[in-house]
Amino acid sequence: MARSWATMEDFEAFLDGGGLVEADDDMPDAYRRAVFAFIEMHANSELMGALTERDWIPKTPGLRHKMAVLAKTQDEIGHGHLLYMIAADLGVKTRTQMLEDLFAGKSRFHNVFHYRAVTWGDQVAIAFLVDAAALISQQAVFKNCSYGPYRRILRRIITEEGFHMRLGEDRMMRIAEGTARQRGMFQESLDRWFWPALQLFGPDSVPDDELLRWRIKSERNEVLRDRWVQRFVPMLQSYGFTVPAPDLRWDTEAERWDVGPIDWEPLRRTLAQGGPDSARRIGEAADNWQHTAWVRAALSDGNGSGA
Amino acid sequence: MSERGAIREFLLAFADDEHLMGQQHTEWIGVAPFLEEDLAFSSIGQDELGHAAMLYELVLELDGIEPTDTAVDTLAFGRPSHDYRCCHLVEYETKDWAEALVRHWVYDAFEAMRWHLVTGTSMPKLAAIARKALREEVFHTRHADALLDRLLAAPEARSRLLAALDAVVPMVPGLCEGTAGEAVAVAEGAAAGPTAGLLEPLLVAIDRRFSAAGLDGRSVGSACVGGPSAGGAANGQRGRTSRSPDFEPLMARMREVLDYDSEAVW
Repeated sequence: MARSWATMEDFEAFLDGGGLVEADDDMPDAYRRAVFAFIEMHANSELMGALTERDWIPKTPGLRHKMAVLAKTQDEIGHGHLLYMIAADLGVKTRTQMLEDLFAGKSRFHNVFHYRAVTWGDQVAIAFLVDAAALISQQAVFKNCSYGPYRRILRRIITEEGFHMRLGEDRMMRIAEGTARQRGMFQESLDRWFWPALQLFGPDSVPDDELLRWRIKSERNEVLRDRWVQRFVPMLQSYGFTVPAPDLRWDTEAERWDVGPIDWEPLRRTLAQGGPDSARRIGEAADNWQHTAWVRAALSDGNGSGA
Repeated sequence: MSERGAIREFLLAFADDEHLMGQQHTEWIGVAPFLEEDLAFSSIGQDELGHAAMLYELVLELDGIEPTDTAVDTLAFGRPSHDYRCCHLVEYETKDWAEALVRHWVYDAFEAMRWHLVTGTSMPKLAAIARKALREEVFHTRHADALLDRLLAAPEARSRLLAALDAVVPMVPGLCEGTAGEAVAVAEGAAAGPTAGLLEPLLVAIDRRFSAAGLDGRSVGSACVGGPSAGGAANGQRGRTSRSPDFEPLMARMREVLDYDSEAVW
């Protein structure tokens, strides 16, 4: 049964008590918009991630390998599909509006998908580094998220993302044990993708971050980013790859890796749709959407199934 | 041609068609008209690639080679183009989603008939694959039919689909073309009949599927005869030994990573 709260203080007390908000609750508008924007960006990122990987799917080296890669991309699109549904249930935008805003360059998606995968090594680096970064973020949201529908869907997404990361790790290990040419290719991919993957977590959270206050997120960006660094720096080194951070050092006192200062300018550019591949990625997606408009128009039956 | 060689050719044509059809579906992931279609094409593509892998394994067994994933990939990707036995329809680079959908329907209608040819085969493994594949084909056909039912009822979509049919139908005889020695394979019990025997029922099925919405004077049967890529010898497939112009660019794309380093294991 739908619940309502007289004041924001009452609502926040409900959240502080561990309450879960449901779609039909009369939630404060600010919360509704914040949780919607967060899920919309997640949905957009699943879809744009699939498009980034798509460039290399037809070139996957091996028949059963290609089936595994297809299954992964199918999962990503499936995640987008579920996320757009729960985002639409919040009543801020329909799924069609969300997609059209995305293809018009009006809404955000993760920084990493503003870059282009230019080699097969990049495809593996995405499955390994980027999926792991996304997984760390999603696990942190799932742990304590106050929005019930999102939390329930994250359980499934996290399970599947775990498989993707293992697929990426397995492919990375084959390359690590492979020929000099393969290793060289993957090192170049690491040089391209290490920093964008690290920046996926965003800059340090601001002190009064409402996403944290409302338990839409449950851990600060810098904590999540550090978790990824501590895990991936030694792993990459153990496979004989070089972490492309000139100021990388082992802090003997804190017993942890320090990647040095982070240049946030590339992230800012992607947020303004000005990343290295933003124009092509969004433009091609918009063209595809336009070229298939006749199908959606023909299927349009008022329930949104055609879009 | 030996009996083994004839059966091998028959299986190879089947495997190559499934492989390239699955490959073509992968090209539509993320760019289909809506998310549910991205998922459908991806799922169908996986099924077709899976059929191809199982059929290639049978070919390897006939060759006396252990059917490892590496051996399957060598067979699937590593032959000179004249050793492939795919038809031109699965090599064809579609121009739009209407062509992709019409090809999907036509290919799956044919594929179901082809699997039925081998449900009673003398090769137990092939019969088992056929049973599995036919269960999947029910969903493939249902998917394409559901879309066509609705799209053919809408005027603009219908005209796009009929234009797509014009592009696809001339390649149908090639789809039903058998390989050299197929009569021997049939006599050996590998299949219940020749692939060419599927042309007539397939044309009837295509006509029934599309004529319900009106064909605007088209004749599916005559579209296959006399055109530049009409059936039999006239279409230049020569028992599926010739390749269309779309094959080499497609194969180059498929082989790009493999060709990067021939020593590599990916």
